[in-house]
Amino acid sequence: MTTQDETHSPTADDIIVCNDVHKWYGSFHALRGVSTSVRRGEVVVIIGPSGSGKSTFIRTINRLEQHQRGQIVVDGLELSNDVRNIDAVRREVGMVFQSFNLFPHLTVMRNITLAPNKVRRTPLAEAEAAAMELLERVGIPEQADKYPGELSGGQQQRVAIARALAMQPKIMLFDEPTSALDPEMIKEVLEVMRELAASNMTILAVTHELGFAREAADRIVMFDEGQIVEDQPPDDFFNNPRHERVVRFLSQIL
Amino acid sequence: MSAAEVRRPAPPLPPPITETGWIGWAKANLFNNWLSSLLTIVVTPLVILGLWFLIRWLFTADWTLITSRPQQYVIGLYPTEHAWRPLTGWLLVSLLWGMGAGIWRGGSAYRVTIAYGLFSLVVGLLPYGLFHPDVVMPWWVRLFILVNLPVLAAGFGLGCNRITGRAGWFVLGGLAAYLLFLLLLSGLPGVPGMEQVSPRQWGGLMLNLTLALFGIVLSFPIGMLLALGRRSGLPVAKLLCVGFIEIFRGVPLITLLFVSQVLVPLALPEDFPVNPVTRAAITITLFSAAYMAENIRGGLQGLPRGQGEAAQALGLAGWQVTSLILLPQAIRNVIPAIVGQFISLFKDTSLVYIIGMLDILEMGRSIVQGNVEFIDNGRELFLFVAVVFWMFTYTMSYISRRIESHLGVGVR
Repeated sequence: MTTQDETHSPTADDIIVCNDVHKWYGSFHALRGVSTSVRRGEVVVIIGPSGSGKSTFIRTINRLEQHQRGQIVVDGLELSNDVRNIDAVRREVGMVFQSFNLFPHLTVMRNITLAPNKVRRTPLAEAEAAAMELLERVGIPEQADKYPGELSGGQQQRVAIARALAMQPKIMLFDEPTSALDPEMIKEVLEVMRELAASNMTILAVTHELGFAREAADRIVMFDEGQIVEDQPPDDFFNNPRHERVVRFLSQIL
Repeated sequence: MSAAEVRRPAPPLPPPITETGWIGWAKANLFNNWLSSLLTIVVTPLVILGLWFLIRWLFTADWTLITSRPQQYVIGLYPTEHAWRPLTGWLLVSLLWGMGAGIWRGGSAYRVTIAYGLFSLVVGLLPYGLFHPDVVMPWWVRLFILVNLPVLAAGFGLGCNRITGRAGWFVLGGLAAYLLFLLLLSGLPGVPGMEQVSPRQWGGLMLNLTLALFGIVLSFPIGMLLALGRRSGLPVAKLLCVGFIEIFRGVPLITLLFVSQVLVPLALPEDFPVNPVTRAAITITLFSAAYMAENIRGGLQGLPRGQGEAAQALGLAGWQVTSLILLPQAIRNVIPAIVGQFISLFKDTSLVYIIGMLDILEMGRSIVQGNVEFIDNGRELFLFVAVVFWMFTYTMSYISRRIESHLGVGVR
């Protein structure tokens, strides 16, 4: 498999490099030797059946989960127990969750300005101006002074994207961002993600939205039982899957 | 069938008469089913009978044991000539109260403040001489009490001011006022008019309030630290916190008070400068902190895991995640439990009678037992003390409910 080897050999252009990453939950082997790398500006969509380790994998990239063997290097910094590296990586990596996880006790504006103000020490007025721009970008500037509980799911997820973008990250991680949404709200969130993908942001997204994957992804990676079983550009992924498991999975969800 | 068939909505009709007004209310609450109807029929005459006895007793009740010596219920055996010191303390409370109302403006803050002002006015103008020609309230005491009203207004002005009206100043001012109050009560050797008054002479409602305030102000931050320590990843800190919480929760407060008065002095040098009141205050505080810790831990436990993860993912440091994201939500969720703990702490201050302190309840009991003419007036005493305690606890409960609904903004 020469193409796969090419993808995995780290180059200067790679912003994320994973080498033989293993993760256990107790005795359960969740990640079983994951090696891959992501280039700057690349959009990678990760799919796979539930329990296949795809969420665990993207959560190791900002160390919400610790890997126990192997190596993860993000923008030149290796993730280890070194707290300074972890903090530095988290500043550069934004994350969007399935359940939004907005802070319910803070207004939308405060949700977005909190981290720039407290972590990057951006003056509040400046952070607020930037937050307003981001809210325009995700299409809900009029909700700035509301609390998250007063917004619809789709609006909350768009605020969550704006909150992550406010740290001006180099990489965005999406962990099933549309799985908790009603169908009519999925569209508005995917639109924001599409716009983001077109803006040269490096994106890793776990999602079941194959339409989005087909249009926006540079690569689709499929996980099964803690391993990468397929890693191809969308056209090849859908038209000539190399692995029988992909065919079975696609037939199950299409 | 035409797809675009237009359906006219039915016009709303008024509900049947049996569902609204007092008939509807009685039906829903008193005669809901046969069991509740039966209970209503049986209980109503009993309640009326009980009220009848109570009202008849109230008319024959003799309140002399309270009206003849109001001072002792308020400040215990604190010397009369030094009464200006606790009275100044009351002025400090008024100043802060007004300031608080100015900072957290709104209907409920005003209502509580007006009630407080009216209370001061009534106490200051009460014509004691009508009931007891022999009990005179000195003019300067009246003056002190009435001055509370302008001081309350001045505090309100401070609270409304843009520069002084900040929560931070309020907290700082509260701490300073409390220390000043303790200094006033105990006195300064060598300063004329500030002769030392032994804490043994502190008593009455003043003692209950002093202990309760000390406990409330300190048990909250201590409890918070204990809760965080119990959840922390440091094994030693965790062990210490768990040990502290379980020991102080597992022993009755009375036992702890005895230990602090009887056993702790054995372990200290003889002239160790900690008086019995301070010791009781510390004991009550630590006892309450152990419960507080568990309340706050409950609040932290109840938060979704995603809250901490989202904060970490944004790059916030551990202490920022805790102080900006987790604690504010956890505390808001357990305000009812926290205020419940404050209320129970306030009521528990009565227990200091077992170490020989004369709080309002024990002061009254000693008046009943020490005077033959009052030997039959126990009922009046206990009703009076109950009403006093209730006034304070209800105020706390009312304020907490208002804070809850105020903070409830945006919560689904």
